[in-house]
This record gives sequence, structure tokens and C-alpha cells, in this order.
Amino acid sequence: MDTPEPLLKIRDLHVGYGKKPILRGATYDVLPGECLTLLGANGSGKSTSLNAVCGFVTPTSGSVLFDGIETAGLPPHKIFGHGIAQVSQARDLFPDLTVEDNLRLGAMRRGGKALAQNLTRIYHRFPRLAERRKQATRTLSGGEQQMVAIGRALMSGPRLLLLDEPSGGLSPQFCEEIARIIDALKEEGVTMLMVEQNLNLAFRAADRFIVLRDGVVVDGGDVRAMAGDHDAIVRNIYL
Amino acid sequence: MSQTMPTAKQRRLRSLLFWAVPALLLLLPFATNPYTQFIANGMLISALVTLGFTLVIGNLGQLAFANTAFFGIGAYGSAILAAKLGLPWLLTIPLAGALGALGGFLASAAALRGIRSYYLAIITLAFGELMRWGYLHAKPLTGGTDGMPMPPETLFGTSFSSDTLKFYVFLAVTVLLVKATLNLMRSRFGRAVMAVRENEVATASLAIPTSRVILVTFMWSGFVVGCAGALFSRHVGYVFPESFGMLHLIASFAMVLVGGLGSVLGAVLGAVLLTALPEYLRAFPGMEELFFGLIVAAVLVLMPMGLASLLRRLSPIFVERFYREAP
Repeated sequence: MDTPEPLLKIRDLHVGYGKKPILRGATYDVLPGECLTLLGANGSGKSTSLNAVCGFVTPTSGSVLFDGIETAGLPPHKIFGHGIAQVSQARDLFPDLTVEDNLRLGAMRRGGKALAQNLTRIYHRFPRLAERRKQATRTLSGGEQQMVAIGRALMSGPRLLLLDEPSGGLSPQFCEEIARIIDALKEEGVTMLMVEQNLNLAFRAADRFIVLRDGVVVDGGDVRAMAGDHDAIVRNIYL
Repeated sequence: MSQTMPTAKQRRLRSLLFWAVPALLLLLPFATNPYTQFIANGMLISALVTLGFTLVIGNLGQLAFANTAFFGIGAYGSAILAAKLGLPWLLTIPLAGALGALGGFLASAAALRGIRSYYLAIITLAFGELMRWGYLHAKPLTGGTDGMPMPPETLFGTSFSSDTLKFYVFLAVTVLLVKATLNLMRSRFGRAVMAVRENEVATASLAIPTSRVILVTFMWSGFVVGCAGALFSRHVGYVFPESFGMLHLIASFAMVLVGGLGSVLGAVLGAVLLTALPEYLRAFPGMEELFFGLIVAAVLVLMPMGLASLLRRLSPIFVERFYREAP
């Protein structure tokens, strides 16, 4: 079977904070419709990789090609406009705004009809948010807030969704819920690039994985091919 | 928002109330003496000044103090256009607003370059002082320390020296600008303004052009306060550089806080209270400042969210969309 043209091509990406290099020539692809998970120890450059893709940090060199368009160095709102949305680790919600206002902020550039359709779609996917649509977001549980964060990112109809530790701070039951959300998004054809420390969730939800160590890709492969042999990956990550 | 949002019925009642208050105020000139009328005119001007101020520091969350600069630009702009170019004063009101908006554009430059907090405060204070220096030294245009008189003018045969006529014009301008600002803050733009205040990076990541939001808010603030400046020039009939100094800025800041930071309703309430208070305190010669300070302190201690919070507690009809109480 022919491998489809990657939706995202990262080539020799270097990113640093001040003089401290984090990514030192990372190279990988994200294929359309898949969920790729980035694994690695703390400080290996996983979140930095996502931040470079969505424009929160500017690469010092290298290329980020999204559907043939060079996005490295573009400001976050321009990258978002190309169809890349991120759900950050901190979720970055607006706690005093209602659930619905938070969701609407995710589609500020869309007109009334498209916005209303997307809102209906999000409420259909997350019925719990529909029940709490008029509630201030800070009054929601951690899991519900994560739903708002994911829903808000989906409001713009992204072609690539970046998920930075979606299970962070959530109960094991909700991790399973996150996995189901990712499954549903894959069925809809949403491409995802995910950073996840929870290996159970990572292997339950992702199609492929890559391992970052000291800012370079050291391993990778098909998740299904690794079924039951997670120990080798854990060794590769941490040892 | 911690408050209960108004229901559809309450929103209709609010709309009715919004128009009922100015409708009742139309009768005010029949129930007041000239002195009280003069004070009421001053309240309307202060309401617009406070409204413009609270938009930037309350709604947008930028510690910018260029408000008095916008006020001076509007007042001098109106006076120069009327006295030097012979334009009818009424026409100078939107033009003074446009000049104020230009001032807002200039003041936003620092914020757009990423300058925030105390640094933005100092730069915008310097902008205000620079403008005052300009009024003092551009004598051929502004009259320098001598100030600048407004030319006499009539409307439908009535002189603008009449405080009653001024009141009706001021009321119309104030109602129009308050309504326009309320609508702006309830719109998608208002949601973006609040988002910028809450988390600028997250807002930018949602493809909301934060620079444009900051720029437009500063410019609208400048427009509102610039229009207030034009009203002020006719109100006092003479513009002096001293009217646009730190004292005016501090008084406006107090009005914003007493009314309720970031609240349109609060801006009006704060302006009404703090414009009226010194007049009533004249009955206590030598103690005015003391009583004024004590009353302001008492309001802020008892109602840290300002006078508007009192009304919000009474009924959800006073809850403003995208308003957030300060921590």
C-alpha cells in the first residue's frame, strides 16, 4: 500500500530557549488522519515540538511544512488560520467566561452559520458541555474543562489537532474518555499530534509513535506492531 | 461570570430602563436651577471620560493612563476647529472624537510593542504630559497659558451659553456613546477584548488578532473621551492646559474604581457620584477634601467591586455581558 503524502513534515528542526537548545534536528512526518504520539523523558523536546508547530516558539532553523506551506516562524494566529489548533497542557481556558463563550472564541473568524453548526456539532459530541453551556468554565471539573479545551480547538474545524498531555491531572476513568474522544476524532478524519506521558493512553489512542531523546528522534513505529512489548519503548525513553 | 445572567424578559426590561432614564432626564432642566444644571452637564462629560478610561484599564486590562491626553486632544481639537476654522461646534464633536481616536492610536503603539504593566503606565503618563507641554507651548494655536475661548454660537436661535441647551446636546451624545459602547462590549469584539485581558497568548493562538483588538479598543476609548473633550470645551467655554493634568487623571481613575472597574454602568455611576460629591461638600468649608477622601475610601472598602456591584446584587438586569469582577 502506498504511504500517503504527509500532512505535516518536520525537517531538521532546531529550537532553543535562549542559549539552551531543546530540539536538535528533529525530523518526522504526520500522515493525514492518523494520531501520532510523541514520547520521551522530561526535557526531551516533546512539548517544544508542539509549540514550534503552532508558533508559540520560533525555530532557530529547520522546516515545518504543513500541507506544503512553510509555517516555521509564522505567528500563532496565522498558523491557526492554516488549520492547526493546539490544546495546551495548561488548557488556557478563560475561566470566567461561560462554556459557550469559550467555545465561540475558538471560531472567532467564522461567520454565524458555520459557527452555529460547529457549536451544535461540539454539543453533540460532548453532551455534558451542552448541559453546562451557561456555566462559568472555572466551575467545571478537570475532565469537563479538558472537554471545553478540546471542543474549543475543534470549533475552528482544524486539519491538525495538537494535544499536549490531554490526560494531565485527570482521573483514570477520564483517560479512557479521552481515548474514546480521540477514536471518534480519527473516525472523522482529524489528524492529531499528541504528547502524552501516560503510556497506556498513548498506546491505546495513537496509531504511530516516535521517541524523542535530547531533541532528536531515536525510535518510532507502528503502535499495533508493538502490542504487548511496551517495555522496550520504556527502556528507550528512560534508560 | 459569577453573576446570574439576565433572562430574556429581564433583558427587555433592561432595554426599557436604558431608554427610560434619559427620557426622564429630558425633564431635568424644568426641575433644576442653573447651578445644578451646570453640575449635571459636568456629570455627563465625566461619564464619557470615565467610560473611555474603564474600557482600556478595566475591559482590556491594560494599565494605560493616556485618558486625560485624549480628553485634552478632544477639547483643544474642538476649540481650534471652532475658533480658528469657524466650524460649527456640533460638527467639531465627531471630529474631536476622531482626533481622540488618533490619540488612542498613538497611545496604543507602546502596548502593541509588547510594553505592559507599570512600564505602559509610565509611557502613557508621559504621553499625557507631553500633550500638556504642547498645549502650553503651541501658543499661536492653543493660546498657551492664556487658554483658548470658545466662540459664541447659537442653535435654532438659542445661544450655547444656555446650560439647558448644552444639557440636551450633552445628553444625546452621552446616550449615543454609552449605547454604542455597550453594544460593542456585548458583541464578538467584546468577547475578544475580555479574552485579551484574561490570557493574551491563548487568545492569539485562537487566531484572534490581539494587536487589532488592542488598537481598536484604544481608538474607541480615544473617540469617546475625545467627544467628551469637545463637550467640555463648550461646557466651560474656555480651555486651559491645567484642565488636562494629573489631577484630572486621578479624579477619573477614582471614578472608574468607585463605579466598578470594567463596567459601563459603573463608569456612569462613578462619574455621577464623584462629580456631585465635591459640590455637596462645599457646605463643609475646609473639610471638603477630608470628607471626599473618607467617602471614596468607604465606598471602596465596603464595595471593592464598585457601585455597580451593588446594583448587580439587586438584580441580574444590571449584569453586563463579558464583565468580570476583579479578584
